[in-house]
Amino acid sequence: MLEDKKSYSNIFLNGIFNDNPIFRLALSMCPAVGISTNMMNGLLMGIAVLFVQICSSLTISLMKNFIHPRIRIPTYTLTIATWVTVTDLVLAAFFPVAYKSLGIFVRLIVVFCFITMRLDVFARKNPVFPSLVDAVGMGFGFMFGMIAIGGVRELMGMGTLLGYDILGFRPLLFFVLPASGFFVVGFMMAIFNYTETIYNQRKRARSTAS
Amino acid sequence: MKEIIKITVGLTMTCLIAAAIMGGVFIVTAKAKKHNEYVNFQENMLKLLGFDENKPAPEALQLCTVFRYLVHQDKKTSLGYMLPVQASDATDDITYQLVLVDIQGQFIAKYDLAILLAQATDEKDREKAITAVLTGNNNTIEYADQFIVAKNGDQRLAYLLPGKTPGFKTHINFMMAMDATYSIVGLQILEHQEDPGLGAEIEQEYFKNQFTGKDVERLKTLKVIKEPLPDEQLRFLERTKWINNEFSDDDLATLQKKYQPKDICAITGATISSVAVLNGVKNVATKFVYRVKVLENIISKQNISVAF
Repeated sequence: MLEDKKSYSNIFLNGIFNDNPIFRLALSMCPAVGISTNMMNGLLMGIAVLFVQICSSLTISLMKNFIHPRIRIPTYTLTIATWVTVTDLVLAAFFPVAYKSLGIFVRLIVVFCFITMRLDVFARKNPVFPSLVDAVGMGFGFMFGMIAIGGVRELMGMGTLLGYDILGFRPLLFFVLPASGFFVVGFMMAIFNYTETIYNQRKRARSTAS
Repeated sequence: MKEIIKITVGLTMTCLIAAAIMGGVFIVTAKAKKHNEYVNFQENMLKLLGFDENKPAPEALQLCTVFRYLVHQDKKTSLGYMLPVQASDATDDITYQLVLVDIQGQFIAKYDLAILLAQATDEKDREKAITAVLTGNNNTIEYADQFIVAKNGDQRLAYLLPGKTPGFKTHINFMMAMDATYSIVGLQILEHQEDPGLGAEIEQEYFKNQFTGKDVERLKTLKVIKEPLPDEQLRFLERTKWINNEFSDDDLATLQKKYQPKDICAITGATISSVAVLNGVKNVATKFVYRVKVLENIISKQNISVAF
C-alpha cells in the first residue's frame, strides 16, 4: 500500500518537475508565449488544459482495449478535439469574460503536443487511476508554468499581479509584447534547470556523506 | 480486408460518439450563449452612451429599435421600416408600425403591427407580425439591418448603429453612436478575429477614440494615414486609462478641437484592419444619414406618432 502511494505521488510530481511540459519538455510553447501576457490568462488557460487533459486521459485509458493500435493517433486527436469543443462551448456560455480573453487559444488546445504525448506514452498503457493522477500532474505542471511566466510578464510589464496594482508603475512595457515571451521562457527554463542541478548535487553529496 | 472493416467501424463509432457529445453540449449551452451575446450587446450600447457602473443609466432611458426590411411584393421591391410608435390607446405601451417606402424614398403605405417592443427582439416574432399585415400574394421579406434610437425622457440622446465590415480575416462587427447632428460620439468593436497584437488593436481606446467628433461631411474625405500618433494625442485618446483629472475640461475641449480635423492614424502593422474599420464606419454613417432623412420626412408628412 505504501509502495502504491509513493508511486502515485511520483507520477504526480513527475508531471510538475521532471517532465514539466513547458520547462522540461519544451512542448506547447505557442500558448506559453502567446497567451501568458498576464497571470489571469495563464491561470485560465491552465485550468482549461487541466480539464481537457484529465478528460482525454480518462477516455483513452477507459477505451484502450477498443482502440486499434494502427489508428490510435486519429483517435487521440478526435478525443482531444471533442473535449476542447466542449470546453469552448461551456466557456462561451457560462464564462463570457474568460472566453473573451482566451478566445482563439482555447481552440488551439487541440494541437497541444504534450496532451497527445501523454495519451500515447501513459494513458494507453496504464489503468484508469494512474492515468488520472498523471493527467492531473501534467495539467498542474502546465498551469504552474503558465502562472509563473504570466506572473513575471505581468509584474515586469504592467506592474500588476492578477490585475491588482503592485508596483505602481510600469517597469518595462517590453515584457508584455510577444517577443519577450521567448526571453522569459528561456530565463525561467534556465532557472528551473539550475535549481534542479543544485538540488541533485546536494542530494548526491548527502548520500555519499552518509 | 477484415482489418480495413475493423478500422473503418472503429473510427466511425468514435466519430459518432464524439458528435453525440458535442451536439449534446451545444444544445445545452446554445441558449446561454445567445443570452450572453444579447447582454453584451446591451452593455456595449450603454457604454457608447457613456453609462457604466459609476454612472448608471437613468430610469427614463429607452432604447427604441428601428428595423429595416426588404419587402418583395409580386415583382416590386420596397423598403419596410418597422417604427416603434406610441400605442393609440391610453396605455404607455410601445407597439410597431410598418411603413413601406419605395426605392426613391416615396411613401407607399403604413400598417399597424400587433407586436410589442419587448417581443420585437425575436426575429421570428417580427417576421410573423409583418407577413400577417401584408396584402397580396408572393410576399417575401428579407431582414436588412437595424438602428437604435436612445432617448432619455423626451430628449433624443443618440442613434446607435450596428455595422459589419470585412476585416483582415473575417467580418468585424462594430457599433457606433451618432448624435442628433450626425457626428460620431463613439465606436465600439463588438466581435472580430484579427491577429492579437496587430489587428486586434482596433479594440484599443487610442484607435477607437480617434473617430470621436468626426461629422458626416468630414467622414466623406476621412482617410487612414501612416503616421505615428503624437504623444499628446495618445495621452488624450487614452485618458480613461491613466490617472483621472490629468486634463481639465478646458484642456479637453481644446485638444478635441485640435485633433478633430485630423485623419485616422493607422495601427502599426495593421493598416488593412484600420482601413477596414474606417470604411465600415463611413459606409454605415453615410447610408444611415440618407435613410434617416427620408424617414424623418415621411414621419412628419404622415403624422406618425413615433416613440422616439
